[in-house]
Amino acid sequence: MLELLLQTGLNALYAAAYLSLVAVGLVLIFGVMGIINFAHGELFMLGAYVVVALYSGLQMPFVLVAAIGLVFVGCVGILMELSMFRQLRGNPLGGLVASIGFLMVLQALVAMGFGVRMEHVPPFTQDVIILSERVRLPVQRLIVIIVAVMLLVALWLFLKRTKFGWALRASAQDKEAAALQGISLRTTSLIAMFIGGALAGIAGSLTAPLISVTPTMGHSVIVAAFIVIIVGGIGSLEGAVLAAFIYAFVHTGVTTFLDGVIADIVGLALMLAVLVIRPTGFFGSADRA
Amino acid sequence: MLELREATVSYGKVTALHRLSLFVGQGQVVTIIGANGAGKSTTLRAISGLARLTSGEIRFQDARIDNLAADVIVSRGISHVPEGRRVFPDMTVRENLMTGAFRRRFGPEVDADLEQTLVRFPRLAERSQQLARTLSGGEQQMLAIGRALMARPALLLLDEPSMGLAPVIIDEIGSIIRSINQTGVPVVLVEQNAELALSLADYAYVLERGRLCLEGEAASLRDNELVRTAYLGV
Ligand SMILES: Nc1ncnc2c1ncn2[C@@H]1O[C@H](COP(=O)(O)OP(=O)(O)OP(=O)(O)O)[C@@H](O)[C@H]1O
Ligand SMILES: [Mg+2]
Repeated sequence: MLELLLQTGLNALYAAAYLSLVAVGLVLIFGVMGIINFAHGELFMLGAYVVVALYSGLQMPFVLVAAIGLVFVGCVGILMELSMFRQLRGNPLGGLVASIGFLMVLQALVAMGFGVRMEHVPPFTQDVIILSERVRLPVQRLIVIIVAVMLLVALWLFLKRTKFGWALRASAQDKEAAALQGISLRTTSLIAMFIGGALAGIAGSLTAPLISVTPTMGHSVIVAAFIVIIVGGIGSLEGAVLAAFIYAFVHTGVTTFLDGVIADIVGLALMLAVLVIRPTGFFGSADRA
Repeated sequence: MLELREATVSYGKVTALHRLSLFVGQGQVVTIIGANGAGKSTTLRAISGLARLTSGEIRFQDARIDNLAADVIVSRGISHVPEGRRVFPDMTVRENLMTGAFRRRFGPEVDADLEQTLVRFPRLAERSQQLARTLSGGEQQMLAIGRALMARPALLLLDEPSMGLAPVIIDEIGSIIRSINQTGVPVVLVEQNAELALSLADYAYVLERGRLCLEGEAASLRDNELVRTAYLGV
């Protein structure tokens, strides 16, 4: 039993890791731009298809492909800002609708390019760390956890220690006051979209060998990410990371001990409970939401 | 150095500012006084690019600025301390101040200015790692002014710095404004507290429902019958 719990904990840690990467980007974009990016799950999906194309297909080294996934999807984020969100500034609903349109375009493009089917991505390593008879941690999962922690720490340092990090936080807290300091929303939006895209992209790339890769794989990820940011308090990065852990442990636990459908229901129930008890989420404050 | 020519601002059908002409000379403190809704904030917002003119023009250091974006106007040398302070609540005092220098190249000069600002505002120095939301109203006002100074402005716009503050703190803010002006920075001071404003200013404009109703040397306005009854309450 203890071993089963440990194993579930490790699985949850892995789920929390990639979910955090997706959710944090979503929160950052919402904070700076006021837009709920519905296409965020598809950015995750694009990261996975970078691996399908370059790693499964062209057999390029996995590390390089993951780096490309990060940069390429970050650039797709920039493209979204330049082609849609910039024109719709001051119209959050417009941004949301545009992102839904963009999501469909991305799904269609990938379906046209790769076909509507499940892709087989070979593992980039078969190594497994054997902690005990029944507690095993595949190195692939360990790497997802390590990279996520590194990127989240890097993001934290960027936001707390650098000029442009301060600019991003300033824009998220008071756009007009930020403009009065010479901070252009154009600049901070580009940075937020790049970071948000890049984090979703690398999450998709790193998990591609571990999950089923299809053009619609973004769905389940975005649903989980929405639950996470609502539980964590929309607008709070720390809250999103913490909520990703809570959600991943609950979801993985229920999947292991009961089953996956019940886990999804419990996840949604968790969100509803938070909305009822504390509508601003664990970390959200009323004036930020 | 700053000139508004027949500046008009409308929000939809409401004309918040009607053909206002105003001039700020080198090293001056100019005040704009008026009741609620007179158009004082709108005037400052038009200067700093937060509000767009519907007609007229604004010139600063011999160039038109009324078509520039707010973040560009900061680089031209205008810093605006907005109504209600608007410090960044979830950033520390130090981070707020550094954000004020966003348009400058970070390095020894900015670091020295930060030190100097903390010397000028000892209350902020004691609280430099505290979140701005936890400061008192007076401290937040000082932070907002300090943040604006971090840009090394050529012109400072202050919107009701005395709002909601105790008399002692108002005096303190008054002497801060005076000391800033003594370093050669011209100030446009918007106030409902006409007494404070006229004691600090060289020249004053009185607005009423978006229109200029009176202007003159601050000293002479203090003796003006209308100003005395309507704004000084004597
Ligand atoms: N964003 C806006 N949209 C519509 N009307 C506005 C807007 N901002 C200001 N106004 C209107 O413009 C007029 C002038 O407002 P302004 O804020 O400039 O007044 P004020 O002199 O600063 O007043 P107070 O002393 O209360 O701050 C008011 O009638 C106000 O209702
Ligand atoms: Mg005002």
